[in-house]
Amino acid sequence: MRGLVEATGLRKTYGTVEVLHVDRLSLAAGQVVALLGENGAGKSTLVRVLTGATAADAGHVELGGRELRNGDPAHAQELGVATVSQEFPLVGEMSAAENLMLGRRAGSGRVVFDRRATERAAREVLGLIGADVPLDQPVSRLSVAQQQLVEIAKALGRDPKVLVLDEPTSALGPVESRRVLRVARDLAAQGRAVIFIGHRLDEVREIADRVLVMRNGRLVADLTPERATTEAMIRAMAGDEADVLVEGDPPPPGDGPVLTVRGLEAAGIGPLDLDVGRGEIVGVAGLMGSGRSRLVHALMGAVRTTGGTMTLAGKPYAPRHPADAVRAGVGLVPEDRKRQSLLPFAPVRWNISLAALPRIARRSWLDPRAERSFTDGVRRSVKVRCATQEQPIGTLSGGNQQRAVFGRWFATEPRLLLLDEPTRGVDVGAKAEIYHLVESFAARGTAVVIASSELEELMRLAHRTAVLAGGRLVTTIPRSGYSKHALMTAANSEGVAS
Amino acid sequence: MTPLRTEVPPVEVALGGTFLRGKEIGVVGAVVVVFAVFALANGNFAGVSNLQTMGVDLAQYGLLALGVSFVIITGGIDLSVGSVVALSGVWSAWLNVHAGLPDVLAIALALVTGAVIGVLHGLSVTVLGVPPFVTTLVTLVAARGAALALTEGFPIDGVGSVFTSIAQYRLAGVPVPTLLFVGACVVAWLFLERTYQGRQLYAVGGNAEAARLAGIRTRRRVVLAYVVSSTCAAAVGVLVTARLTVGQPSIATGWELNAIAAAVIGGVGLAGGVGRVLGVAFGAILLVCINNGLVILHVSPYYQQIVLGAVLAVAVVTDRLRSRGSERDRR
Repeated sequence: MRGLVEATGLRKTYGTVEVLHVDRLSLAAGQVVALLGENGAGKSTLVRVLTGATAADAGHVELGGRELRNGDPAHAQELGVATVSQEFPLVGEMSAAENLMLGRRAGSGRVVFDRRATERAAREVLGLIGADVPLDQPVSRLSVAQQQLVEIAKALGRDPKVLVLDEPTSALGPVESRRVLRVARDLAAQGRAVIFIGHRLDEVREIADRVLVMRNGRLVADLTPERATTEAMIRAMAGDEADVLVEGDPPPPGDGPVLTVRGLEAAGIGPLDLDVGRGEIVGVAGLMGSGRSRLVHALMGAVRTTGGTMTLAGKPYAPRHPADAVRAGVGLVPEDRKRQSLLPFAPVRWNISLAALPRIARRSWLDPRAERSFTDGVRRSVKVRCATQEQPIGTLSGGNQQRAVFGRWFATEPRLLLLDEPTRGVDVGAKAEIYHLVESFAARGTAVVIASSELEELMRLAHRTAVLAGGRLVTTIPRSGYSKHALMTAANSEGVAS
Repeated sequence: MTPLRTEVPPVEVALGGTFLRGKEIGVVGAVVVVFAVFALANGNFAGVSNLQTMGVDLAQYGLLALGVSFVIITGGIDLSVGSVVALSGVWSAWLNVHAGLPDVLAIALALVTGAVIGVLHGLSVTVLGVPPFVTTLVTLVAARGAALALTEGFPIDGVGSVFTSIAQYRLAGVPVPTLLFVGACVVAWLFLERTYQGRQLYAVGGNAEAARLAGIRTRRRVVLAYVVSSTCAAAVGVLVTARLTVGQPSIATGWELNAIAAAVIGGVGLAGGVGRVLGVAFGAILLVCINNGLVILHVSPYYQQIVLGAVLAVAVVTDRLRSRGSERDRR
C-alpha cells in the first residue's frame, strides 16, 4: 500500500556536513508518527523538506500521490500539509475566533466584519479537535495550553491531510500536555497522518503508533509501540558509544569551593543543591523545559528566587539583580545571542567592555584610549576576528560574536561563569575555539556552570554533569560515568512525574 | 573560516576619526549650506542682532532636543516637554509673583518640579511598564491643564529682575541662554561619551535585556533619562518666561515635535541606542536657521511648517536607508 507521504532518496548537505540522508520514508494515514533524535540529528531538516520549507539537494516527496515541488511551502500547503510551530504566532489582542479565521472571510459580507459567522466558523474548526476554548476573549488571556489548541485548530483550518506538530508540549505542564496529546490522537483517528516531533519519551510512548529515530541525518530505527521502550529509544538516539569521541580532558579542577547552593527554589525549579569548585566545569543537562536555563538565570539573579541559600567564595550570595551578581564576580553568557547578549549596532568595543565598564572607569570617567587598548587586549585573547573593533558587532559571524560575548566576561575576570547553550548558532570550527575558551577560563580558576542540550558538549567539557528533570536534580554523573545513554536515561527518569 | 566579507571595514570608520563620524557630518553640512543660502538671500540674516535672536531660539529648541535625546537613546519617547515648558514657565512666575518667593528660589523650585515629573515618568515606564508614549501623553495633556488652571488662562505679570536679566544679559555679545545651551551640550557630551553611566544609557537603548543580563541597572538609567528630559524642559520654561517677562500658559504648544525632529535630524535613532550630542546640537541649529530664515524672507508661516516637515522627512528616510544598508552588510 502506498502511504500518504512517500519520500525517496532525500539528501541535504550544508557545507561539507550531510544533515539529511533518508532513502525511503512512507507515512500512512491514520497514524501518529513520533520523530525522535538529539539536537542536530536531522529531525527538523526532514520535516522542513517534507513541508517544502527547505529545498532538498536530491530526492522526491509525494503527498497523497502528487509530487511536491521541491522547496515550495505554498505547494505543500496546497497538497494538504500543515505545521504547528512557534513560527506563526497568534495575534495576542484578537479573539480566538478572529485568529482562527485570520486571512479568510466568514459570512456573506464583503466589507463588514461578520462576528457571528466568524464565531460559528471558528467553533466548527475547534469542534474538530473537541477543544473548549472561549471564543470572545483576546488569545493573550488564554492559558498556554488553550493557545496551543488554537494554534492546532488554526493549522486545521485548511483541512490538511498531514499535520506536523513540532514539540507541541514543550511549554506545557503534564495535565495540559495530556490534552494536546489526546487531540493529536483524535486527529490521527480522523484519517490524517500526524508527525509528532517530541522530546519527552514518556509522551512518545503514550501517543505514537510508530516511532522513527534519527541520528546524524539518517533514520536509524523504526519501532512499533511494543518495541519502543524507553531503553530502546535511548539506545537508538545515542547510537553506538564507540563513535562518541571524547577528545582530551579539561584541565584538572583546583581546590576549594566557589559556589555552594542549598535548597534553591525559583518558579519551576527546585529545591536543588549544587556545588562548584575552583576551576571546575559543571554541566547541566536535561530535556527542554527541565529548568536548565532557569537554574542558570536564578544563579545570575535574573529571575527571582523563592527559597534556599547560596554562598559565593565563602560569602553569602543572594543576587536580586544581575548587577549584584556581576559585582560579586559572576558572569553569564545567555542562550539567545541576538536577544540577550548583543548590542547589534554598537561597535565590538562597546560589546566587549559592557560588563566591565565600572572596572575600567576611574571613578565615573572613561578614558577612551585606556578603554580602547583594554578591549583590544581582550579581543586578541578571545580571538575575535574583525577589521577594527569600531565596526558594529552585527557585521561579524556568529562564532566571532559569541567569542566577543565571552570576551565581555573575560574582561571582568569572574569567579563564576555561567553558560547557557554557549555554542548555539556557531559553526563547527568556532565551536572548538569556544571550548578552548571555556577551558581557559577554568584553567584560570574560574568555576564554570554550563547548561546545554548537546550531550557531546557536556561530555567534552564538564568534569561532572548534573541532570535535571522537571526542575529537580535527578543525579550528578561524574566524568568517568559519562555516556549518552546514562545522561539520556537520567534526563528521562522522572520527567513529568514531579 | 571567518567569511571574508566581515573583514571589510564599514566605509564611515575607514574614512574618518570619531569626531565627524557617519550621521553627524550630513547635518553639519546641511547647516553650513542652509546658513550660506539664507545669508546670501538676505543680508540681515547673518547680522549680529539676528544671530542673537537665533541664539536665544536655539537655547530653547536645543535644550529640549538635548533632553528628549536622552530619552530616545534609551528607546523611549517624551511627548510631554512642550507642556512641561508651559507649566514650568507659569509655575516659576506664580511662585515668584503670587507666592512672593525670591527669584532664584522660584526658578530652583520650577526646576525641581521638572525633575519630579521626570522621576514619575521614569517610574511609570520602568516599574508600571506603561509605554513611554502613553506615559508622556498623559503629561502632555495634564501639565498643559495644570498651567492653564494655575493662571486661569491669563499670563502672570511682573516677574523679578533675575528673570529679566537672564534674558537680557550678554557675555561678549552672546546671550546668556545660548551660553547655557552650550554649557548643557558640553555636560551632556561628557556624560554620554566619557562616563560609564552614559555608555550604559546607550546599552539600555541598544538592547535592554542584554544590558540587564550584563549587570546594568536598566531601570535607573531609564529614570535618569526622563529626569534629564523634564528638567531641561523646565529650564526652557524659565527661559521663556524670562524672555516674555510673563508666565504664559499657552506657550510652547507643539514644541515637543520640534524637539523630537531636531533629535532625529541630528541622527538620534528612534529605535534607541544611537545618537550623539554633536548631531542633536546641529539638528537644533538647522531647525532654528530654517525657521528664522523663512521669517526673514517673509515666507508665510504655513509654508514654514511644510518646509520643516520636508526636512524631517529627508532625515527620517536617510536614517532608514542607512540602517537598511547596514542590515544588508550583515547578511
